Amino acid sequence: MNRAKKHHPLVDTKKPNLLEETYPYSLPPLIRFKGPVVEYIDGKTVEFDFGAVKDRNILISDTTFRDGQQARPPYTIDQMVHIYDLMSRLGGPNGVIRQTEFFLYTKNDRETLERCRALGHEYPECTGWIRALKGDFRLVKEAGLKETGMLTSCSDYHIFHKLKFRSRAECMDTYCEVVEAAFEEGVRPRCHLEDLTRADIDGFVLPFVERLMEMSSQVPEELSAKIRLCDTMGFGISYPGAELPRSIPKLIYKLNQECGVPSDRLEWHGHNDFHKVHTNGGTAWLYGCDFVNTTLFGFGERTGNPPLESAIFEYIALKGDLCGINTMVITELADYMRSIGLPIPDNYPFVGRSFNTTRAGIHADGLRRDEQIYNIFDTEKLLARPPRVAITDKSGTDGVVHWVNEFFGLKGEDRINKIKIHKLARWVIDQYDEHGRLTAISDQELEAKVKELMPEYWAKYKGSQK
Amino acid sequence: MATVEERVKAVTAQVLKLDPNEIKLEDSFTADLGAESVQSIELVAMFEEEFGIEMEEDAALSVETVGKAVEFIAQVCKEQGVVTDDR
Repeated sequence: MNRAKKHHPLVDTKKPNLLEETYPYSLPPLIRFKGPVVEYIDGKTVEFDFGAVKDRNILISDTTFRDGQQARPPYTIDQMVHIYDLMSRLGGPNGVIRQTEFFLYTKNDRETLERCRALGHEYPECTGWIRALKGDFRLVKEAGLKETGMLTSCSDYHIFHKLKFRSRAECMDTYCEVVEAAFEEGVRPRCHLEDLTRADIDGFVLPFVERLMEMSSQVPEELSAKIRLCDTMGFGISYPGAELPRSIPKLIYKLNQECGVPSDRLEWHGHNDFHKVHTNGGTAWLYGCDFVNTTLFGFGERTGNPPLESAIFEYIALKGDLCGINTMVITELADYMRSIGLPIPDNYPFVGRSFNTTRAGIHADGLRRDEQIYNIFDTEKLLARPPRVAITDKSGTDGVVHWVNEFFGLKGEDRINKIKIHKLARWVIDQYDEHGRLTAISDQELEAKVKELMPEYWAKYKGSQK
Repeated sequence: MATVEERVKAVTAQVLKLDPNEIKLEDSFTADLGAESVQSIELVAMFEEEFGIEMEEDAALSVETVGKAVEFIAQVCKEQGVVTDDR
């Protein structure tokens, strides 16, 4: 058995320590840092100050209408305009959701862009997305956009096997010609380093980005190239010590500190093939990438992208403040998306129908005593979604009484106690014990039973309703 | 008029589907008489109805034995001015 190395005496108290500096409840739990983080890069110790993120101008960018649409049937123009409008309200006046990108190839693409811009919102700024073809800049120019993303795939999988270049030099020259064309058209290029986490970093990526920075130094600042780090297959790793090309810390360090790409021109674009997408985005912010690229509810190619709404809560947690964000719009967006046929799983964080619904009676008892025990933050205040209890055979009388009080909207001293709901609790138990039911009981069924078994309460609290 | 004890045993027997003659004052509602969670609630509700009283939820549910329930209910009846045959 290991001998204890340090003694930890009990700090006895009669007053609970609820750690409210981290768990304010009125906000999502805050992410607080203490001391530097160390990464070994090329044999050197490099320190990162994560705490500085509070004062950095980190931002969210969006690709719901580009990558997000590659995972589903196309949105109609009206749907996209409405989503854009809601997204603008969500990001707030400080433009936390700073940009969103649009396809430019079809008449519908261009009409969507025009109608979104006609709304007159300052944010999200509209940007384009094109192939790395000189001719495509005509579309950007005609649309009057100041910035466009362009594919500059950087792994040898793409360079040789997809794009069929004969050499890396030929590939780099071709990309740089297109970047030059963007500069000439007065359009800022955002170079999407596709398949970065499977690329030869020293052999291609860094030389290419160095050349981009050299070219950018010859043009006005507002045209200088941005770099999007595309983790196309979701291979990126957040752990300190991981090797290139999968290491997010090392990738960002090399582009930021060795190639000199400023943080405000670095953007992370992830995919969720290994369930790492949200944390990888947050990691990119912390190591020096100012932009994290997202899609609403994570919808995107294959397994999707960093969910925009999760990035919003990560942002608030890192900043310790709402920063003008209107989180209530997240619920509106989810309702709207459901209404147009986008499936959102019931257990999906923040917006799924059951994301803050407990089924266990013991948890329902905790909710009854103090909702903070089993609710992640004030979900009613931030998302218009109070914590709920779903009724099954595991709910117990605590679950049933919580459901009844929530249904009648009763709080504090007005709450009905367990004794008064005994007939309803009995009916619930009998559904399973006597009738062999295997499914949860719906709200509609419970409402009908409350009316039947608790008529005096129904008359008191729902009397004006039929 | 039946005593508090007789009435408590009668309600207990009815809710838990037992013979009232087999219920003893020292019996635990859960360990000896097999009351499950919802039946504990039903017992308290039925006692309230039988005696015409209102009991504090946590206090009532913390009563463990039949004898303690008799004492507790008698006390509540007294506090709420409900006449029983045990005066």
